[in-house]
Parts: sequence; C-alpha cells; structure tokens
Amino acid sequence: MATDVATEAPLRVRRARPERHWSTLLLIAPSIALLVGFVVVPFVYVVRVSLATQGPFGSIGTGWTLANYRQFFQTTYLQILGHSVWLSFENTVICLVVGYIVGYFLAFRAGRATPVFVLLLIVPFWASFLVRMSAWMILLSPHGIVASILHTLHVASSSVQLVPSNGAVLVGLLYVFLPSAVLPIYAGLRTVDPSLVEAAKDLGCGTHWRVILPLGRPGIVAAALFVFAPSLGVFVIPVLLGGGKSLIIGNLIVTLYLEFRNMPFGAAVSVVLFVIVMLGIVACLRAMRSADGSEGGLF
Amino acid sequence: MSRTRRRWTQLRAGALDTFFSVATGVVYVFLLAPIVIVVVYSFDRSSTGFIWTGFSTHWYRTLFHDGQMWQALRVSLVVGAAAATCATVLGTMSAYAMARRRFRGRALFNALLLMPLVVPEIVLAVAFLVFLVRVRAPLGYFSLICGHILVVLPFTTLIMVAATSGLHRDLEEAAADLGASPRQVVIRVIVPLLLPAMFASFVLAFLFSFDDIVMSTFVNGVGTTTLPLLVYSMLKLGVSPEVNALGTLLVAVTLVLLLTTGVRQATVMLKRG
Repeated sequence: MATDVATEAPLRVRRARPERHWSTLLLIAPSIALLVGFVVVPFVYVVRVSLATQGPFGSIGTGWTLANYRQFFQTTYLQILGHSVWLSFENTVICLVVGYIVGYFLAFRAGRATPVFVLLLIVPFWASFLVRMSAWMILLSPHGIVASILHTLHVASSSVQLVPSNGAVLVGLLYVFLPSAVLPIYAGLRTVDPSLVEAAKDLGCGTHWRVILPLGRPGIVAAALFVFAPSLGVFVIPVLLGGGKSLIIGNLIVTLYLEFRNMPFGAAVSVVLFVIVMLGIVACLRAMRSADGSEGGLF
Repeated sequence: MSRTRRRWTQLRAGALDTFFSVATGVVYVFLLAPIVIVVVYSFDRSSTGFIWTGFSTHWYRTLFHDGQMWQALRVSLVVGAAAATCATVLGTMSAYAMARRRFRGRALFNALLLMPLVVPEIVLAVAFLVFLVRVRAPLGYFSLICGHILVVLPFTTLIMVAATSGLHRDLEEAAADLGASPRQVVIRVIVPLLLPAMFASFVLAFLFSFDDIVMSTFVNGVGTTTLPLLVYSMLKLGVSPEVNALGTLLVAVTLVLLLTTGVRQATVMLKRG
C-alpha cells in the first residue's frame, strides 16, 4: 500500500498545478468582486456624482458642473471643515499623549501582568459604543459624579455645564480612540532594544527623552495614523456629547444625504473628506518611513 | 560625571516612572468607570439617571416589553450573523490564497483588502449608498448585510492571515503523501486547524456588525432599523435608563461571548499540546 502511494504522489502533485491556478482564482475572486463592486466602483461613482447637477426631488441630475465644489469652498463650509480638522488634530494630540503614557507603562512597567492590562484596555471597547457614550452623558451631567467631585474640590460652581460641550466631545473621542493609540505605541516601544537603554544609563544620560522616545517614534506615528484618519469621520459623538451645535463634516454629510437629499453636494463633501484623509495618511506614512529608515514596516 | 549629577538623573528617571504608573492607573479608572456606571444606574429606580434613588429592576421589565427593541434586536442579529458568516468565509479564502498561493498583484490585493480599514467608515457608507441608489437596489436587509460585510471584512481577513501563517506546510504535505486528494487535504486538515480562528473571527465580526452605527445609518431601510440606530435616536432625546439596562445586558453577553471564545481557543491549544 505505502509503495503504491509513494509512486503515485509525485504524479498527482505535478498534475495538480494547473488546477491550483484556477482554485486560486476561485479563492480570491469573491473578495475582489465584493470590494471592487461595492467600494471602488461606488467611489468612482461618488466622484462622478460630485460633479453632477441636482435633479428633481433630490435625485441626481445628468449634467456636469463644478458648482458643488464651488459651493463647498465658501466660508460657512470651510469653517465646518476647519473645525473638523482641528477637532481631529486636538483629539490626536491628546490620544498620543495619553496613549504614550499607557503604552510606556505596558511596555516597561507592567511585567507579567501585561496581558491582563491589555485585556482591560480592550474590554470597554467591546461594550457597545453607544452604551459607553450614554455612560459619559450620565457621568458628565450637571448633577453627576464628575460635577460633584469638581464642586467639592472647589474647581467649578455647583451647576457647571459639562455636557454638552466641546470638552465632553474630546473626552468621548479619547475614550473611543485610546485603544487604537495605545496598541501601536506599545508595539513600537516593545521593539526598543533594552541593551541600548542600559548603555545610555551607564553613560549617565537621561534615557527617556534621548533614547526611548526617538526609538518609539514609528509606533507613535502609526498611532497618529490610526487616530487621525478615522476621527475625521465621526458624527455620533459630537451630537451626543456636543449637543450638535458646532457642525462637523460627519454631521454635514449625514444631513445632506438623509435630510436635505442633496446628493451631489454631499458627494462633493465626501470627496473632500476622502482627499484630506488620504493626505493625512500619506503624511503619516512618510513620517513612518523617515523614522524607520526602511519601507513602512507596518503591514 | 559627578555623583550629584548622576543621582539627579536617577531621581528624575524614578520620578518619571512613578508618574507613568500612576497616570496609567488613572487612565484605567477612566476606561472602566463608565461601564460600572452604566451597570449600576440600570438598577436605579428613578429615570433621571443622575442621582441614585433606589434599587429596582423596573427598567429591565420595560425593556422586555418594548416591541420596537425586540424588532431592532431581530434585525441586528440577522444582519450580524449573515455579515459575520460571509466575512469569515471570504476572509479565510483570501488569507489562505495569500499564504499558500503565488499570484500576481498580491500587493494590490492586500491594499484592496485593507482599504475599508483606513478610509473613514462614513466615506465607505456614502459611496455604497450612492451606488445602491443608482442601481435602484432596495434598502433593507440586503444593503445592510453587504454594507456590514464591507466594514468587517478587513478584520476577519487580518485574523485569518495571522491564523494561516501559523499553519505548518508539513501537515498538508504529510496528508498529501499519505494519499489525500487536494480536496481532502482542505476538508480534513486545513479547515479543522483553522476552525478556532474562524470562530474567533466570526465572533469579532458579529460584535463589530452588531455595534455598527455609521454604515447602518446610511443603508438601512424602512422597517430594518438596527438596535444601535434605535438606541441612538433614544439617546438624542436624553439619557434613558432603558438604554442602561440594555447596555448592561449587552456588556454581559459580550463578556460571555469573548470568554467562551478565549476558553475554547485555550482548550484547543492545550489539547494540541
């Protein structure tokens, strides 16, 4: 029996090779079809729609025009864009600082308890997103716990309005994006060679700012990428925690599509958002490349 | 280097370390406190949700009788299960192809698979909606499920890529040498080995889909409101203790799901030695 199989096996492998070519295609075709069909093609179509006129009853017209973009590059909308970018930037900075603190702790101070801490970091992430936002609405409410603490410490008056406010939005954003910031920074810091730190200590220099921080830079840049780009598209947090008073791009797009039914203009705004996100990503990748000295070693 | 200077540097380093540890502690309290708050306040008798008035399961009973909630839950479960299944299958196929087969355009395929991760979900959702409108597709279960697959696919693919990279080629070759046909190798060797990762990927995909707001906002139809969308509309009117009760239940279920996945994977790894 065994000898039969031994003489058969090489033949089978050789004959199977053309068959493998087709089966490979079969393996990747559905994913490609789905992604090209539902992401790439629609996006090309969005660009087309952004250049279209508005048809009757909120449909898409057949003309070609730059009016949508011209309408966007007016003061009101540019203000919204600026506000969104600024909010994302603020959020990124806060997340990077807090993320670095936690990432440093996890990489150097947590020791054997590290998996537990990482799990604790991710567990809130698994609780429903809206539940977490609801929790913050309660916590930051005028008679809630945080306000009471602040009042006891005489930092704020008895009926301070913590929510809705810009600060509350930043707290909510930090809460949502912190894991995305901590994990890349932690991964980056873990690759720091301990012998380098030892050597620096022996030479008597302050190891942290001169050695650890620069070596951890790729992780920090990756964290910036994972926080800045997605945060440009948020629209739930500002509504629930910010009272929806100051409009940002996410809300604008939702409003245009679902309430005003102005699809061409909404499409133009989406394209602008996409371009900005792409610019941010390119900037981050370039920063990663220069920090690494090699070809962006993330994926 | 002088002794005082070295001691000063050491002191500074020690202070910095303490700062990091304490600050991290504060951050963790910040992360976990809201969950505790939600659970605690779900048992609060009053409806203001600010000041604790007394223990009561009233809101759980209200939740139980809320028909809209049940309908939304049904929608979310169906969409989640369908999207997670498809995404897991597709992710496994793609991951296996990338791990075991050589084909041109690998980098492009890789980029394509990861694109939904990098692009803000709102851009994805808008594009998909515009496309659906153009081809006059009805908005409902189909649009929701496809949209959710798009959102979840990068995650399942990443998990399965990690899993397939851990597959030993020797096992497949050994099976082939023992006389298994390529199909048998797949069914009897590869799939069972990948099953724990597929299960984990399914759970993750389901959780992401169940929690999804952005995509659902754009592509849901009349009568197919998902649970997060319903909760969001309730929250826009103000804090609702019913939401807290729902939240507590969701946290409990999520924890159970994740623990079972973790325990299952651990036992499988232990059995394999």
